[in-house]
Amino acid sequence: MTMETAQPGPAALVRSIEPAPAAKTRSHWLWLAAVAIALALPWLFFNWSTGRHSGFVLIMLSEIGLMTIFALSFNMQMGQSGLLSFGHAILFGLGGYCTAHALNAIKAGGLWLPTELVPLVGGLGGLAFGAFFGFIATKQRATAFAMITLGLGELVAAAALMFTGFFGGEGGISTNRVTGVSLLGASYSASWQVYYLIVAWTLISTVLMRLQTQTPLGRLANATRDNFERAEFIGYDPRMVRFCQYLLSGFFAGIAGALYAILYEIVTFDTVSAPKSATALLATYIGGVGGFYGPILGTILIVLLQSGVSLLSNAWLLYVGVLFVVMVMFAPNGILGLIAMHGPIARSGRVAALIVPYLRVLLPGLMVVGAFVLLVEMASFVTIGAEQGKSFKLGGAMHIDPFTLPPWVAAAAALVVATVWLRLEARALGRVWDGLSDEAKRLGQAS
Amino acid sequence: MSASGAPLALKLENVRKSFGLTEIIRGVSLDIPTGQRHAIIGPNGAGKTTLFNLISGRFPPTSGRILLDGFPINDLSPCQINRRGLSRSFQITSVFPRMSVFENIRCGLLWSRGYKYSFWHLLGREKALNEASEQLLDRLNLAKRRNVMAGLLSYAEQRALEIGITIGGGATVILLDEPTAGMSHSETAYAMDLIRSVTEGRTLVMVEHDMSVVFGLADVISVVVYGEVIATDRPDRIRANKAVQEAYLGTEAA
Repeated sequence: MTMETAQPGPAALVRSIEPAPAAKTRSHWLWLAAVAIALALPWLFFNWSTGRHSGFVLIMLSEIGLMTIFALSFNMQMGQSGLLSFGHAILFGLGGYCTAHALNAIKAGGLWLPTELVPLVGGLGGLAFGAFFGFIATKQRATAFAMITLGLGELVAAAALMFTGFFGGEGGISTNRVTGVSLLGASYSASWQVYYLIVAWTLISTVLMRLQTQTPLGRLANATRDNFERAEFIGYDPRMVRFCQYLLSGFFAGIAGALYAILYEIVTFDTVSAPKSATALLATYIGGVGGFYGPILGTILIVLLQSGVSLLSNAWLLYVGVLFVVMVMFAPNGILGLIAMHGPIARSGRVAALIVPYLRVLLPGLMVVGAFVLLVEMASFVTIGAEQGKSFKLGGAMHIDPFTLPPWVAAAAALVVATVWLRLEARALGRVWDGLSDEAKRLGQAS
Repeated sequence: MSASGAPLALKLENVRKSFGLTEIIRGVSLDIPTGQRHAIIGPNGAGKTTLFNLISGRFPPTSGRILLDGFPINDLSPCQINRRGLSRSFQITSVFPRMSVFENIRCGLLWSRGYKYSFWHLLGREKALNEASEQLLDRLNLAKRRNVMAGLLSYAEQRALEIGITIGGGATVILLDEPTAGMSHSETAYAMDLIRSVTEGRTLVMVEHDMSVVFGLADVISVVVYGEVIATDRPDRIRANKAVQEAYLGTEAA
């Protein structure tokens, strides 16, 4: 990964410029819309005949909320400061453990703290552990920083199984969010109450992290990312900038961990483990490291895959992996980068000219995905699915026997043909795109 | 020598620097009075940039003393030296490429205005800071390029931006490392005017190869050859100096 001397591509250069006043009001509307959707969404899945919320949807949405905070806190290090951490989950998990112990203490009557404010315990835990780990890790930057965080991640994961007093060993720490102490008189025994608590904290954390990018520290984090030596010669100690940024990032990761503890009422050692760190990294890269909002998009996609596709397929993790590789290869600036690329063409008013080429790419694109999925699913069926007593159906009706050759040949042939077709269409799209962006550039210069 | 008793902005006492067994700076002593425009010239590899790196704290000297306004700065880090009022530019343009021109300039102002590592000030609301940044942009003639990513500026614009970042913090001693290198004739003339105006009332030390810039800007010139200062004098006398002509100006001035 090019962390040190990442030469910004044109798309990367679009961002972080202060938006024009018109764009600012538009982003206010986006915020309002996002909040409205978050508030309304559970009711779309409300079962009016039984009068019950869908537990699955509520937990999935809650997961999106807390993982959004986690991924954004990861991006405070990655995108903003150029610090790639392989052990970000230690701050998340330790925040969660602190919260679980705090909840147990509240329940036992040893501590008075309303549930609404319990996430602060996780935040402060993340901050305190962030101070300790950050002191070690931020001594270095770039690759050395990544290696230190990798080591710290393994260290904490190992410690989680050794020090059973704090971590509870393999069983983790169980807790109970129904403490009976609340500012709003809510018991938090129902999932929807927890969901709205998570929405509130996600909103608070997101706003605070967004504002932080506009403070001297936030800007200096960008500056040390771009050119740490120059930052030194304008009076700033790059290590101190990295440390402060790591600390704040730990605070928010801790809040995410606290919400996790409140949601699941158990914190186990996998909250500090490498796969948890990888989730933040995947979400951030798929969404886009460049802009502030990228990790939010990435998190939504990853959690949907995690919760939705994992029900349908044994191979869901493989799809996440392939998605990650494809994104990094073809769209290194993530989903947000893809959207931002359209900016100049949209401003020249020619975006409609892209619709037909896009549709023409979509068809072979879907075929490639379909054929690939079919191959993966057949392989997965042959190796584990058959033993689980499942039968292989396509579209709910068509029976396929993956233990015979024809479906394999057909799927492989479809994949090859569709790939060739896709490349041709992609080239045609590329030509249209180049034409339009040249036109947009000329218009931009003329005005 | 200007031994007029003016206070010294920068004083080097027998400064030496070795990398491994190779001694690059071999006992340099320099007195640069406050307010002087001082040029350091010399052939390639003479150690001019190394000298800058020692003064600005990028490397510590092997021996000798460096005093900034009478205060020894040998063991200070670059950021500490900068906070004491010394700022520098780089031979290879050094800006913040993925930030806008305005942000580049504003970052250069932050420390001197006491913001430190604040995460509670919203920069958009800091009126005095933003006005000062805009004014500096105007002076650099970069106001039109305000919202462009610094990495997309033309070479000459990036050099101007870097000078802006360098002087923005209100440093009293400015080190410029080949500020006009790679510029066209007209760009050089413009850069000279810019340097002259923004370093007004400050001490300027610059390394420069373009003799028209050196003789046009400098009050005093030091000639460095093989890690030693062989002459420090007024431009006209440097031009006439036999040793300098042999060692450096030779073919060019003849």
